Amino acid sequence: MAPSIASRRLRTALRAVTATAAAALVLSACTGGSGAAGAGDTSGNQLLTIPREDLATFTRNFNPLSPQAAPMTLQAIYEPLVVHSMSNAKDTPWLATKWEQAKDAKSLTFTLREGVKWSDGQPLTADDVVYTFQLQKKVLGGFDYLDQVTAVDAHTVKFSFNKPFSPAFYEIGGHYILPKHIWSKVKDPATFTNPNPVATGPYTQVEKFQSQSYDLRKNPDYWQPAKQQIAGIQMQAFSGNDSANLAFTGGEVDWTQTFIPNIEKSFVAKDKKHNHYWFPATGAMINWQLNTTKAPFNDVAVRKALSMAIDRDQITKVAMNGYAEPADCTGLGRTYDTWRDTSLASSCTWTKYNTDAAAKALDAAGYKESGGKRLLKNGKPFTLDISVGSASSDWISVANIIKQDLAKVGIIATVKTPDWSAVSASYNTGTFDTGIVWSNNGATPYEYFRGVMSTKMLVPVGKQATENYHRFGDKKADKLIDAFAAATDEKTQREQMNGLQELYNEDAPVVPLFTGPEWGAYTDARFTGWPSEQNPYATLGNRNGSTILVLTSLKPVKG
Amino acid sequence: MRLILRNLGFYLLAFWASITLNFVLPRFMPGDPVSRMFAQAQGTMQPDQIAQLRKLFGLDHRPLWEQYLNYIKSVFTGDLGISITRFPTPVSDVIGQQIGWTLLLGGVALLIAAVLGNLLGIVAAWRRGGVLDSAFPPLLIFVGSFPYFWLAMGALYLFGVSLGWFPLRHAYDVGLTPGFNGAFISNVATHLVLPALTIVLVSIGGWMLGMRNTMIATAAEDYITMAEAKGLSPSRIMFRYAARNALLPSVTNFGMALGFVVGGALLTEVVFAYPGIGYQLLMAVQGLDYPLMQGIFLTITAAVLLANFLVDLVYVRLDPRVRVR
Repeated sequence: MAPSIASRRLRTALRAVTATAAAALVLSACTGGSGAAGAGDTSGNQLLTIPREDLATFTRNFNPLSPQAAPMTLQAIYEPLVVHSMSNAKDTPWLATKWEQAKDAKSLTFTLREGVKWSDGQPLTADDVVYTFQLQKKVLGGFDYLDQVTAVDAHTVKFSFNKPFSPAFYEIGGHYILPKHIWSKVKDPATFTNPNPVATGPYTQVEKFQSQSYDLRKNPDYWQPAKQQIAGIQMQAFSGNDSANLAFTGGEVDWTQTFIPNIEKSFVAKDKKHNHYWFPATGAMINWQLNTTKAPFNDVAVRKALSMAIDRDQITKVAMNGYAEPADCTGLGRTYDTWRDTSLASSCTWTKYNTDAAAKALDAAGYKESGGKRLLKNGKPFTLDISVGSASSDWISVANIIKQDLAKVGIIATVKTPDWSAVSASYNTGTFDTGIVWSNNGATPYEYFRGVMSTKMLVPVGKQATENYHRFGDKKADKLIDAFAAATDEKTQREQMNGLQELYNEDAPVVPLFTGPEWGAYTDARFTGWPSEQNPYATLGNRNGSTILVLTSLKPVKG
Repeated sequence: MRLILRNLGFYLLAFWASITLNFVLPRFMPGDPVSRMFAQAQGTMQPDQIAQLRKLFGLDHRPLWEQYLNYIKSVFTGDLGISITRFPTPVSDVIGQQIGWTLLLGGVALLIAAVLGNLLGIVAAWRRGGVLDSAFPPLLIFVGSFPYFWLAMGALYLFGVSLGWFPLRHAYDVGLTPGFNGAFISNVATHLVLPALTIVLVSIGGWMLGMRNTMIATAAEDYITMAEAKGLSPSRIMFRYAARNALLPSVTNFGMALGFVVGGALLTEVVFAYPGIGYQLLMAVQGLDYPLMQGIFLTITAAVLLANFLVDLVYVRLDPRVRVR
């Protein structure tokens, strides 16, 4: 019954299909890869290529008011008055050349740079600055301390506050400035997508905007043309770390801040001469937060004993791949080394790993061990939950190490890893037990201490908190924090900061774990002048405030 | 005609039920978009920004029934609101930008898998016990049961990284200007090969087996023996008598699959960094972007229903029994 004719015809047909398919493969093999943009190009006009692993496609939205503005909106297009770099704690005058803080810390005056032009040729004036802050307050709110912004003359702007507040310098100085002559004509600034931005930055001209890439070319009117050494920036979209890292380790993009596992082997070893990375500890202090509205975490002796029970060296080495710095009892991250009270840091013990001391401290506080299990004062077993969002695999290993360490002192911990939204909802409302939590990371430790010990940010359980999830407050801290904000001279500020560190050492409001690193890697095959440990003028992140310093320092490799 | 009208009524009902589900389901998820964004930023956002973002997004605090009425209205006017994860881009723009690539990739892969799979099934059943019949189905099922991610990564490393035959990512080369010209189209085609090939590999086995099985049942029918007795040419019997009748379940499957193409191929998009709806939907779910989620679900629902309706129409043509009833 085998129908031979049909099968023969079919076979011929199939053969034809395979032949065409093969031909197509060969053809495409010829064209494939030929257009790889710029890789290996050292004509001097090459574009600095940067991948975004978290955006599979781009949307043409260069509105800086939007939290989803296209990458580089706040780095290469719009500029602030002052650039602050977290890696060396330096302030570089940018659109402002000078600033002066009033003695009573109730006002701040900036002098704008002369000769700065918007990319449409119009000059930058004090009116633009005033308008920017008016718009910001109208559309987004915030800046509650800001009473009035006035243009003293064409190049001087005065900010008046309703209370003494010196940390305002970083918030105002680091804020982007918008052109009034453009934005005052926009009907609804909140939903304006600003497809062709007019700005003061070095790379403002959007070209070849496509769903997975776009170029930013030189601003023809830039105020420091000598620093526009690279021809432009090219952003590329990737749908995840894997595809972005494949492009990076393959040498097709120049600069990434994606986490690369085993970077020595998977990246540096491929081209030892050109491939580099630098992970400075400029991130936020990561804390183990204990909900102080619950017993036994309301007992400072317990918090300190738990802190002593955990091995921070193992946490940073194993869970964080050796790229994080263990914390000390001042709670300050590495970024605040200049503020650190080093004598205090070296004298206290509650952040040093010591299982025996931890067990003794718990015994002394009334939490006795019986049959290898520690008991609460009411006789129930001492157990606790550690919650971490399921997406953060590194922090989950941190929690697991804590769990193992606690077992050594007879405490049973359970690591819970639901989705981040569920975890953060339990932080917001204060229903969690304990958790691995980020902290505020400002230019000074002001925001950090406000977030962990001030009573001002304290809200009762059930109400939404935006910081101080562990709900600890000390009136003494309020005084010090306010005094710090009211002080304008470094000496007084330092005194308050030392006082805060001492208080932190007494209260142990949270259990500080480590300073997180900021990832960053590059190849200098096509561009040179990168920041490094020897020359830490900025971090290697390409999404933060100091990125503009890198963009204006890089030089293309020619020939 | 009456049949089509009756079906249309059913489709309207199904449409209403699914758009209502679209509305209800996302609202059962815990949290709100702003606190999700804050949790994802992990310390890089200031606490003050939470209040600012709530103000900017203008999150909806009206009673649910009012939101629902508004939603129904927006479904019919096509105004799907503004995306939160892509603020302030309208949802219709976000979807519009990517639907083309999604349809291209999904459509091409589906068409190749279905046509090739069905042809293989027909021939395998017709020549039962032949090489094609005994070797292909187990082989294809074997390949198809690989985790897709693994298979795609393997193909990417072999044909992309090691051999360098095909581009590793994106829908076309970075910097190329889209346009209807030979250079651009061939570039898009080369970028399509690996993603489409991997989808075809994992899905073709199902098509082949399904077709082969119904074909075997059909080939045993009396009218096939009758046709052979009349001395009709074997190819005519195979395609016009046996295959045409065995095709019906495949057509149904094709309709279903066609509708789901619109939902995108998430894993393919992740491995090959191919632009598409799948990844966007994942981002929308992670960021609790209600407007975008609703928009994408609505598109999928509409596409599935439309595809089914088209299949119904084709059925009327293919299967005379439907016309009689």
